[in-house]
This record gives sequence, C-alpha cells and structure tokens, in this order.
Amino acid sequence: MRRGSIAQLVGIGIVCGGVAALVAIFVPWLPDPASRQAGRIDFVFWFVTVICIAIFALVAAVIIYALVKFRAAPGEDMDGPPIHGHTGLEIVWTAIPAALVTAISIVSAIVLAKNDHIPHASAAANAEPLKPLVVKVIAQQFAWSFQYPAFGNLTSATLELPLEKTVELRITSLDVTHSFWVPEFGQKQDAVPGSVNNLAITPDKVGHYPVICTELCGLGHAVMRSRADVLPAQQFLSWAKGQQKKLGGPAGASGKAVFANNGCNSCHTFRPAGATAKVGPDLDNLKQEAQRAGQPLQQFIHQSIVDPNAYIEPGYPKNVMPTTFSSLPKAQLDSLVAFLAGQAK
Amino acid sequence: MTAVTHDVHDVHVAPAPPPTGWRRLLAPGWLRVPWMMALFFGIGAGIVVLVRWAEGWEPIWNGDVITTVELTTVPLGFLAGLGGFDYWLRYASGAPTRPEDHSGHGARSWRDYFRINTDHKVIGIQYLVTTIVFFVIAGLLAMLMRAELARPGMQFVDNQTFNGLFSVHAALMIFLFVIPAFAGIGNYVIPLMIGAPDMAFPRLNALSFWLLPVAGIIMLASFLAPGGAFASGWTGYAPLASVHQPIGAVFFNMGVQWAGASSIMTALNFLVTIITMRAPGMSFWRMPLLVWANFTTSLLVVIATPFIAGSQFFVMFDHIMHTDFFNYQAGGYPLGYQHIFWFYSHPAVYIMMLPGFGIASEVISVMARKPIFGYRLMALSLLAILVLGFSVWAHHMFVAGMASWLRVPMMVTSMVIAVPTGIKVFSWLATLWEGRIHFYTPMLFALGFISMFVIGGLSGIYLAAVPIDIHVSDTYFVVAHIHYVLFGGSLFTIFAGIYFWFPKMTGRMYDERLGKLHFWLTFIGFNLTFFPMHWLGIQGMPRRVADYVPRFADLNMFISLASFGLGASTLVFLYNMIKSWRFGPAAPQNPWHSLTLEWQVSSPPPIFNFDEIPQVIGNPYEYGVPGARHAVFNGDREVELEEAPVR
Repeated sequence: MRRGSIAQLVGIGIVCGGVAALVAIFVPWLPDPASRQAGRIDFVFWFVTVICIAIFALVAAVIIYALVKFRAAPGEDMDGPPIHGHTGLEIVWTAIPAALVTAISIVSAIVLAKNDHIPHASAAANAEPLKPLVVKVIAQQFAWSFQYPAFGNLTSATLELPLEKTVELRITSLDVTHSFWVPEFGQKQDAVPGSVNNLAITPDKVGHYPVICTELCGLGHAVMRSRADVLPAQQFLSWAKGQQKKLGGPAGASGKAVFANNGCNSCHTFRPAGATAKVGPDLDNLKQEAQRAGQPLQQFIHQSIVDPNAYIEPGYPKNVMPTTFSSLPKAQLDSLVAFLAGQAK
Repeated sequence: MTAVTHDVHDVHVAPAPPPTGWRRLLAPGWLRVPWMMALFFGIGAGIVVLVRWAEGWEPIWNGDVITTVELTTVPLGFLAGLGGFDYWLRYASGAPTRPEDHSGHGARSWRDYFRINTDHKVIGIQYLVTTIVFFVIAGLLAMLMRAELARPGMQFVDNQTFNGLFSVHAALMIFLFVIPAFAGIGNYVIPLMIGAPDMAFPRLNALSFWLLPVAGIIMLASFLAPGGAFASGWTGYAPLASVHQPIGAVFFNMGVQWAGASSIMTALNFLVTIITMRAPGMSFWRMPLLVWANFTTSLLVVIATPFIAGSQFFVMFDHIMHTDFFNYQAGGYPLGYQHIFWFYSHPAVYIMMLPGFGIASEVISVMARKPIFGYRLMALSLLAILVLGFSVWAHHMFVAGMASWLRVPMMVTSMVIAVPTGIKVFSWLATLWEGRIHFYTPMLFALGFISMFVIGGLSGIYLAAVPIDIHVSDTYFVVAHIHYVLFGGSLFTIFAGIYFWFPKMTGRMYDERLGKLHFWLTFIGFNLTFFPMHWLGIQGMPRRVADYVPRFADLNMFISLASFGLGASTLVFLYNMIKSWRFGPAAPQNPWHSLTLEWQVSSPPPIFNFDEIPQVIGNPYEYGVPGARHAVFNGDREVELEEAPVR
C-alpha cells in the first residue's frame, strides 16, 4: 500500500466516523434518565457507542475506498492479485475485537451488579433511610396494580415513589407473562405467573413517567399502561396516608376507587369513572347488555366480574376478561357492583 | 421454463404406460389428491369420534380436537395423493418395487414443477418460487400492519387481527421464506458445486419440498379459524399461547411441525450429500464456502430443530389435552417454554444467516476477481459460530426472570460470537482490496449485505450488553435489530444468490438495469423504514402494539410511508424475474467467469448435471493465479459414467 492511499483511507474513515458521531450526539437518543440505574445504563450505552462508531467508520471507509478505487472498467477481463491471506492481519482482527468485547463485558457486568444491588438495613444501624421501600407489582390482563406492604397493603393503580430512595419491586403476574418497564428508569423485568422477580429502582428526579407493558400479553397489550409518579419524600408519605384513609375500612371502600385500583379503566369505557378504553364492552351501556343477557342488572354485573365467560357480549371474543377478579374481597366486590349499577344508565 | 437439452439416460426399462379411464384416479397426482384428502379427513374425524365414544367423553364431536388431529391427517392425505410415499409404501409392504425409469426426474414442461419431482434442480426452483410467493404474502401482511401503525389509535383492524398479522408475518418470513429459500438455493447449487449428479436421497428431497406448501397454507388458514389467527407472536410464549388463545394457535403449532420436518429432512440430505458424494479430488478444504456454509447450517438444523418441535407440542398439549407443562397453577414452569424455544430459535438465527455468508463469499470472490481472503479461517469461523450458537440462547431472556447468575456467562458467550463474525466481515473487505470489482446486481446486494449486516451486528453488541438489553428488550430497538440482520442480512444475500444463479437456473440473463433499480430502491427503502425504529425503541415504544402514544405519531407515519415504498420495490424484482425467465437473452455457460463447478456445465445444466465426472484439482477461488483450475473434465471418463449404477 502506498502512503497516499493510507491517508485517503484514514480521511474517509474520519468523515464516516464524524457523521456517525454527529448522528449519535445531535439526535436525542436516550430518554432523560430519572433513576440512578438509568444513569449507569446510559454510561454503558455511550461506552458501546464509541466502540461501535470506530468499527463502523473502519468498515465504511474500506468499502467506500474499495468501491471507488478498485472498480473494474466496463468489459475489462482482468483478475486481481492472487492474495490468499495474511496470518498477521488475521490475528489482529481476531484479537482486537476479542479485546473490545471483553472490555464491554466487564463494564456491563459491573453496572449490572450495581443496578441489581438493593441495600438492606444492617443490624447495627436500623436506620430508616437505608431500608428499601418494598412495592408489590401485580400484573394482569391488562392492568397494573401496586401494593405497599409498609402501608397496610395499600393498593394503587399508579406507582407512587419517593425521591432518592431505593425501591424494591416484587413483580408477579396473575395470568400470563407481562413485562414492567419505565423508560426513564431504564429498568425492566418480566412479570411471570407463579414467581416473583425483584427489580431495584432509585428514582432521582421528580416527575410523571409512563409504565408500559412490553411483553405481548393479549388483546389489550398496547393499552396496558399506567403511570409512575416520583414525589418528594414528604409528599409521598402524605399521599400514602391519604389513600389509606380513603380505602380504610371495608365500608369505606368506595366503588370508584376499587374500579380505578383494579385497572378496570384500562379496558372499559365508563364515563362516571372517567374511563375511555375500548378493549372490552362499553360499561355505559350496562343496562342494555343485562337485558340482552336476560338477567337483573345487579346479578348480571356480579356474574360478569367473577365469571366473565358466562355471558359474552356480541362482537367481543371469549377468554379476554381475566377471571382473577373473583378473588376480590367481598366488601370491595360489593361496592364495585353497587358503583357500576348505581351509575349505569 | 427450463429447457431440457439432454435425454434421459437409457436404463433399459420401458416406462409403464400411463393409466387411462378411472384408473387415472389411482395414479399419483392431482387427481388422486382430493379424494385422498377427503379419506384422511374421514380417518382423522373417525379416530377422534371413536376414542371419545369409547371413553364416554362429551361431546363426542369436539371441534377443537378434530381440528388438531386433521392438521396431521389431511396433509398426510395430500402428500399420499400426490405420490410422496408410493415408492416406500410399496417397498415396506413387500410388493416388488418399480424399477426407476427417471420419469419423475427433470422438467420437460411447466407441469413437471407441479408434481413430485426427484431432480434437485427442479426441486430447487420449486423451493424458490414457493418461498417467494410466501415472501410476497408475508410482506403484504407487514404492509397492513404499517397501515394500522401509521396513526395512533385503531383505524383498519382490531386488536386480535393486528396481533394475528405480526404473528403470521414473522412465522411465514422465518419458516416459509428465509430458511427454505436458502434450502432452495442450496438444493440447486450444492450438488452441482461438489460435482454430484443429484442429492443423496432424491425422493426424500421431493417430499421435503412438498411439506412446505402444507406448512404455509396451514399458517395462513389460521386467519379463517374461528376466533382468528394465532396471535401470540412467532415466539408463542406460554402461558399466553397455551391457554389464552383461540384454536388458531394450533395452526401455528402444527405449521411449525411440518416446516420443521421439512428442514430436518433437507438438512440430513445435505449432510449425506456433502459427506459422501463429492467429486474425486474435492476434499473438504477444496469445497466452495457455500458448501461449507450449508454443511454447518445443516448440522445446526438437525441438532436444534427438534427443540422447537418439542416446545410446540408441549404448548399444543397444554392447549388441547389440558396438560400442565407451562401451567404454574398446577406446578408447571412457564420459563421452561422460553428455554426450550430459544435453544432452537437462537441457533435458528444462524440457520438464517450462515447460508447467506456462503452466498456472499461466492459472489464477492467472483466479482472482485480475487481469491477469498483467509479461506480456511472463513470455514473455521463458520464452525465456531455453530458451536458458540448453542451457548447463547438465554440472552433472549435477560429480563425474563431466569436465574440471575446465568446472565453474565450468557452475555460473554454472546459477545464472543462477534469475533468469528468479525473475522468474516474483515475477510470479505480484504477480498475486495485491490480486486477488480464488477458491480453487477449480485455484487451490489452482497456489498449491501455487508454494510447492513455490520449495522445489525453492532446493534447486536448493544443487545448483548445486559444493562442496555434490560432497557431496550421487547421494544422497537429489537424490531430494528432483527430486520437489519434478517432483511439487511439474510434477504439481501437471498437476492444476491437469486440474481447470481438466475442464468444457471433458467438459462437466461436477467435485466441488469432493473436489477440495479431493485437494489437501490430496496436499499434506500430498507434504511428509511428500519433505522428510525432504533430511536422509537430506546425512547419507549414497545413492540407488538397496534396503538401507541401520540408523541411517536410523526415518525411512525414516516416509517409507514417508507415501508410502502420498500414493498413496492419488490414489484421491480418480480417483474424482472418473470420477464427475464420468459424473454431474457440466452445465458452463456459461465457469464461471471467463475471457477466453481456449477459454471462448467451448460445453462441450465444437463439432466444429470455432468456428462463427465469432474476431477477436482485445485481450490475454488484461484482468481489471478495464472493457469489455475478448480476442476478438469476427462473425456475418457464418459464410458465410466454410462456404466455407473443409476441412482
């Protein structure tokens, strides 16, 4: 190879790498991180990106250079030089990629260990700030619910989190496999029926973020969303206390709260509850539907919740409404039925 | 159509006279198919009714169970009617076997492509045409998906249909297009490349082809099943696929069985052919790299495919027979499905990629007029990918909740695969270096393949790094990645292979200008469609959704428009293929001045490939070496061939 051709090759490589770097820097690729874990993931992302841009620039430069310089003239009938290989080169392009992927693996393994880490209270200092907040995440078709054992198993349809405190999510599912993801937290974990998977999140930015199901779970998969709210610690405490009061005794369980906390609104339309989803039948028409089923309204609603396949509204498939609501506590079930029947038109 | 220029060899057996009158209904062929299918339908329904009656199970006529059984028996009736089993049944029943008169070998008219044919060249073309039909259908399903995704909210289809669309799209593209299209190219080219008169088991070869339309029609028919098509993705994760699906799910379970059986039989055929039927002098280290690639791919297929067959049977048993393999309430293990499934489906990625590596090596070496750089390391890296490919399956499961200690070892093995893959890419680049490059359409697709596959490989590094994978798995980033490796990788090499061997297969040249137009439209449309998906995924758009948040609306509209352009580019390809096959100028024997054996015979080749047995005397890629030859033909050997036992 001549000196000039090396210079040209390097030039093309710098241009290609530069363009790729501009695309990497000026397109806002990553969501704004809102947790410590997401910040670390972003570091791995940029570490890999730098290496990938270098490899991309090298490959692109060689291809472009070859396209321009080694083009055969039309109708030309000549062969290239019979070069069969070069042991030195082959060792180099085996060893360098091996070294690069080793480096990426090491960085990834360290970050993974840090992101998995949940600080547990030591026996010596049972200090409140060190204790992780445990939240049980329960997924079902097609709704999320979040339980706070520290607050008397308070259940919420949105995930409320205190700022700067490591949260241990214990994720499970009642029916099929779902997956819990908040893009701004960077962390994701499948919700598998029959087992509990843990996930650590340390929110470090106040705000509202989407909770998304990323594992195909059936008809309503696309709308299986909720919201994660990161609140300053004091605000979080007052939210939790307030909710506890609202859902306090069995008599106080208002149907509207049960409706919201069990994610009914992620599939149904029901104006009194502000629900507008269209996966399942429109609950604003409950009276007509009960007539079609030939049952009294109250009985029809109760049956449709605990045994949804008993009557299927025409135009909707079977086996979509989960059967898991039959395990709702009786008081909550009754107030839900009362709420639906009372507000139905 | 293939013009047959050589007569069938005289084997001293007069062919049986064709049957006449009602006896034609008994002869293998399309007249026997309808009543055989009806008969086997009756047998299937009879078995179910009889068993249920004997056991006292109500109702005796159970639609779901009968459908499941019929998906086994009716295809058997179809194959039996067509004549797929005649020879073996006769042999197995002790009746005297019919002497082989080669009436089922070679194509004399277009009708010969529509029956059981034992000629690997006919079968190769049958494979390619069939797979392209399914490619077009699966592509149209993708167009419907993109139409729905152009705006947020629901416009054209409902949720069940949408989930069916992407499930069938993926299943057809994988099981009915990419895997069998490579098998088709291999079927045509491999026996010629190694100097063999045919595959080792021509009747088995014919049967493996006819299983494909069966599998494809079963998968498509699921749209007609009550409740709609299977809608749990091509991955069919249990328990969603096993208890929460309409009967359409069984069509997927059974379609995979038929397609899987087809690829296992083809792979065994390739292995035996390559191991035992190489021409004199064709040592393993003189085999063209496409032969090496098909050899490794076939090993992958025979080792891995039984796992997906098993996983689909388990799911089907859970669904129909109410077993509890994946039912956690009865002690089943939902993650078990994912482990078994990916133990096939990760190697399947290489089943869909290694033959493409082989095609790229052939095209690049011939069209750069240089020996392939580092031939032995190229072959060894295929074997390295084969071995490593079985140690990485759980990188699909980093967020699945499997044992957390398993993640780092799986990350390391996944990363290590980048090394043999990198060797291949760098060796192709070194082959280009100082070559005399001819930019014919196959070369454009081969170079497009390298550049797109590098992007797909680099996004694979992101996905192998566990912390990044946790963020992007199950998002559009994954959709972008798999399309860069399967579309930019596999499909580009399939196109390269089709254009490259088109003159050999049809005896005619394709239209070079249309070929180049096809390449540029595909290349540009592909990048506009799939590159933006990386951003969508990282930002928070999950995959397999019909509806999404409004902030992704504009980019999705852009992607949909680009994808329609990409779809339209296929029309250029189809027009070129059909027009050139019918009216193209006659192709010379060796239009690319290649050294490998398939180009040393006429286009299309004689019915038994070689009138003389070639003697391999050198390496296949000795471009630029003065006077070098890969093989010589010895006129004296003609007598020997005439006396050789007929296969």
